[in-house]
Amino acid sequence: MIAVQQQANQHPTRAMSTAAGEGVRVFQHGGGVDAGSYARAMLNILEDAAAERERLAEMQRAVLNVLEDSEGEKLRLQETQRAVLNILDDSAEEKARLGDTQRAVLNILDDFTHEKARLDVTQKAVLNILEDSGLEKARLADTQKAVLNILDDAEGEKLRLQATQKAILNILDDSAEERIQLADTQRAVLNVLEDAEDEKLRLHATQKAVLNILDDSAEEKARLADTQRAVLNILEDIEVEKKKVEQVNVDLRTEIAERARAEDALRHAKASAEDANKELEAFSYSVAHDLRAPLRSIDGFSQALLEDYADRPLDAEGCRYLGNVRKAAQQMGQLIEGLLILSRVTQAELHRERVDLSALARSVLERLEAMQPGRDVECVIQSDLLVHADPRLMDVVLMNFLGNAWKFTGKRMGARIEFGLQTDAENPAFFVRDNGAGFDAAYANKLFGVFQRLHTTREFEGTGIGLATVQRIIRRHGGTVWAEGEVNRGATFYFTLDGERG
Amino acid sequence: MNDLSGPASPPELTRAADRQQYSSAGKLILLAEDNEHDEELVLRALRKSNVMHETAVVRDGAEALDYLFATGKYAGSSPVLPNVMFLDVKLPKIDGLEVLRRIRENERTKLIPVVVLTSSKQDKDRLVAYTNGANSFVRKPIEFAEFSDAIRHLALYWLTLNEPPPLLSA
Repeated sequence: MIAVQQQANQHPTRAMSTAAGEGVRVFQHGGGVDAGSYARAMLNILEDAAAERERLAEMQRAVLNVLEDSEGEKLRLQETQRAVLNILDDSAEEKARLGDTQRAVLNILDDFTHEKARLDVTQKAVLNILEDSGLEKARLADTQKAVLNILDDAEGEKLRLQATQKAILNILDDSAEERIQLADTQRAVLNVLEDAEDEKLRLHATQKAVLNILDDSAEEKARLADTQRAVLNILEDIEVEKKKVEQVNVDLRTEIAERARAEDALRHAKASAEDANKELEAFSYSVAHDLRAPLRSIDGFSQALLEDYADRPLDAEGCRYLGNVRKAAQQMGQLIEGLLILSRVTQAELHRERVDLSALARSVLERLEAMQPGRDVECVIQSDLLVHADPRLMDVVLMNFLGNAWKFTGKRMGARIEFGLQTDAENPAFFVRDNGAGFDAAYANKLFGVFQRLHTTREFEGTGIGLATVQRIIRRHGGTVWAEGEVNRGATFYFTLDGERG
Repeated sequence: MNDLSGPASPPELTRAADRQQYSSAGKLILLAEDNEHDEELVLRALRKSNVMHETAVVRDGAEALDYLFATGKYAGSSPVLPNVMFLDVKLPKIDGLEVLRRIRENERTKLIPVVVLTSSKQDKDRLVAYTNGANSFVRKPIEFAEFSDAIRHLALYWLTLNEPPPLLSA
């Protein structure tokens, strides 16, 4: 009812409709069909309509009052009157309509039960819809999220797009510079083209010159061909010469090699010759010196005889002088003999054969004893000492060694001479040992020198060439000779041949 | 004439103990000679020089040095300085020229006048002799007359005309 009263300003008919509708609503809302209530409601409505009519009349009066104020207002009022009349007219229609509406309402009330049923269905549908809408809401949330993402991406895209735009703007700026540079370049190109024109002119001139040169060069080419031919000929000749030179080189090299060999041979020969020369020099020196002495003696003592015995016969002293003369002559003879042997030994060819040194030594000692019979010398000779050597020269060697041993034991009682082969030392060697006068080992290096002696002839006669001869012979056999000695304790002389034994 | 007393065993080797250095009584010749004939002939020639003197003879190089340095078999005696030494080039044991060299090396003996005698005509001996300090170099001729003259002249010169070196503080 409040709602109706609120609409008091409205057209009463309309208000009645509204109230009717309201009533329907009430019914709808109340949920139950109540005819009494309905009638009451209708009565209410009718009472209200009456009230409304009264109100309306008041309104009319008001309006008329207003119309008293103004014509316009009157018109309006007339209009309004008319309108009101219309409305009144209409209200009849309205009443009619109301009647229709009452009928409609009743119909509606009849439909109401149907409607309620439909409402239940609708409620259920709405609930379903509400359920679906939950899902829809969720999908909507997802969609919203997706949309937000898309919006974010769109943001990113927007930023990239902005960057791109900036880049494009920069490019456009650069391209502006480029355009400026291009303009410069174009200007430069134009300048170049101008220069090119000049160049073209120069080129024409050059071409003319070149054509002239080419004309000259044809002649030159012809001359060049001639020169080339000449050079080729020369090269051929050079090749030939080269080969000749190479051949010469090869020949020279062989010659040099040969010459080197010859030089070597020569050097060796020279060395041998020098050695031989030195020996010869020492030899002739000694010869000259030592042969003169006996000559001096011969002359000296002869002279002494003449001086001292001019007017008297020879006495003992005189005879002694003569004796000295003879001794000197003999000495000379020995010297000459020794020298001859030495020179023969030096030059003669070596004829090697099997030699029994033991037998040879025995033979030598027999000869020595024959020269000095009565001497009592103990001789110890090893047997079967066989060598491959020159027999005559071996005789000389043993005669020298054993002869010396014989001589230097001459003043000794119980003389003993040994000849053998010593095998225990590093180099096995033959030896001749005696227990005679010996020699001072300090001067051993002089033993084998030509005419070198370690004793005077007063002590022991001798020429001083025996050992030199022996050394020569041994060396020619490829061996060595050396000696040990002690004064008054005897001497031992060793020799090797070149390791060849029988 | 016959002052040659008996077989010409030459004057015995004078023992150094009997000698004074440069004894005023007699002048001393030291003869180094290995050849006994040469020795005899030299001594004979020296006798014929009629110069008062004495002669000492050594017969090899080692003995010569022993004599002068009072070593070896002359050890214990006071060494002698001869007025002159006749030195043969070829001596047994130690060569004459080596003997000369060693004499010249010794403080005491380095001034002794030395006459080198040789049979050879080798010039290299002459060079070495003078290099080693010889005072004189004489070849022994073969002919005795020449030889005798040479020896006499040497004696006269070296014993009378030549003045010996002053004595050095030994």
